[in-house]
Amino acid sequence: MSDLWEVLVRHFPEFRSGFWVTVQLVAVSFAIAMVVGSVVGALRIAPVRWIRLIGGFYVEFFRNIPLLVLLSIAYLGLRRAGIPIGPWVAGTASLGLYTAAYVAETIRSGVFAVGKGQIEAGLSLGLSYRRVLSQIVIPQAVRSVIPPLGSLVIAMIKNSAIIGAVFALADDLLKEARLVNSATFQTNEVFFWAAVGYLLLTVTATFAVRSLERRLVVRR
Amino acid sequence: MDYLFDPDNWRWLFSGNNLRFLLSGFWINIQIALIAMLLSLVLGLALALLRLSGRRAVSVVAGVWVDVWRNLPLIFIILYLFLVMPETWRDAYARSVPEWFPTAFQSPFFLAAVAGLTLYNSAVLAEIMRAGIVSLERGQGEAAASIGLRYWQSMRLVVLPQGLRRMVPATVSQLITLNKDTTLVSIIGIQEVMRHARIVSATSGSPFVGTGVDAPLLQVLLTVGVLFVMVNLALSRLSRRLEVRERRRTGVEVEKIEGLEDQVALAAAAASPTPPR
Repeated sequence: MSDLWEVLVRHFPEFRSGFWVTVQLVAVSFAIAMVVGSVVGALRIAPVRWIRLIGGFYVEFFRNIPLLVLLSIAYLGLRRAGIPIGPWVAGTASLGLYTAAYVAETIRSGVFAVGKGQIEAGLSLGLSYRRVLSQIVIPQAVRSVIPPLGSLVIAMIKNSAIIGAVFALADDLLKEARLVNSATFQTNEVFFWAAVGYLLLTVTATFAVRSLERRLVVRR
Repeated sequence: MDYLFDPDNWRWLFSGNNLRFLLSGFWINIQIALIAMLLSLVLGLALALLRLSGRRAVSVVAGVWVDVWRNLPLIFIILYLFLVMPETWRDAYARSVPEWFPTAFQSPFFLAAVAGLTLYNSAVLAEIMRAGIVSLERGQGEAAASIGLRYWQSMRLVVLPQGLRRMVPATVSQLITLNKDTTLVSIIGIQEVMRHARIVSATSGSPFVGTGVDAPLLQVLLTVGVLFVMVNLALSRLSRRLEVRERRRTGVEVEKIEGLEDQVALAAAAASPTPPR
């Protein structure tokens, strides 16, 4: 038991820096995922068939390919092809583009959940398409999109560990834990504290999403 | 773009044993996925039932177990098991594996790989199954009890068939994730498709060990990605077809869940009422 505390006290700087790198990885990747995901989501609901097909192709490709394959392509494949891409860019871009496919699907189903009738009703009342979108569709879509987006953030926190585990792309929590472990060989203690770090992130995200959801709920 | 589609960069695919070697690696991933799926489904159902148990102590312990394992990164779990698995276990495993098993299965770390995949996925699946069971109207269980069925009878005949059927889309989406996650075991040295891809790329260009046809890593990795996309697309198509048939048969509107990876259950659980006691 005293070992447990000793490891934390002695190696707290490593754990802390790894923790923040993981937070940064997730934050940057999430920004990429939201931007790209919104664009692809918009493609998926476009009124033109071939544009929808492009969006569908993106979603099905990035959703069904393993993240490790994407990371390897970004970091090893492109580098071998003569495109030198930095480790940080390779990591966040892979995780971001991978999650963007899920974001796109979430946005699409959020917009569909609003229902055609409401859009038709708005238009028939004489509202412009822009006002229908901004005052009827988007406020409702945002509400139904929050819980799944929160789930995606949690999935991203977990997936970000892959970035540090291969090719040493980033010194995130898992990477730092492995470094401390190879210095101390106190595997159980080191991994216990790394697990606490990850659970801190995922459980906090769970509760944050839940309270956000409660605040946005519409009482009828 | 020119580099990507240059036919010279794709010639490796049809030279020598390259494609066959890549496919044999991919087959290892499929086998690992099948084993982990089977174990995770069984263990997941057991965990879901324990979590819904009437005994408070049992349900709390099962709940903590599930919440811890499903909220940790899978690669973290695999690496941890890889590091701490006692040597005696590894040796015992390596000794007991039949010789005719694939090389990847002979690895002393194979046990850690499968255990990690199972530990994580059984927890996620338990949460999905629990959400499915809890989403069922209370009346179903009460009706079963009132016509004299015992706990296990009502579970087996009434609650589980309906509750689990609702969660087929979420379960399949998790199984697709599991299929993708099998590539992670390459990090602890299991010889599967990621390793085979590196080997193809490293050896194909050599006139001695390969065929002298260069196999650029980018193209090899893309081929691996396309293999996964094809199999996973087939899986999700199959689940959608099952769902449509189910809806036609029962006439019940099954809640459609878009593939939201493994966290679908979380949102579903948050929205559902507390479990019946």
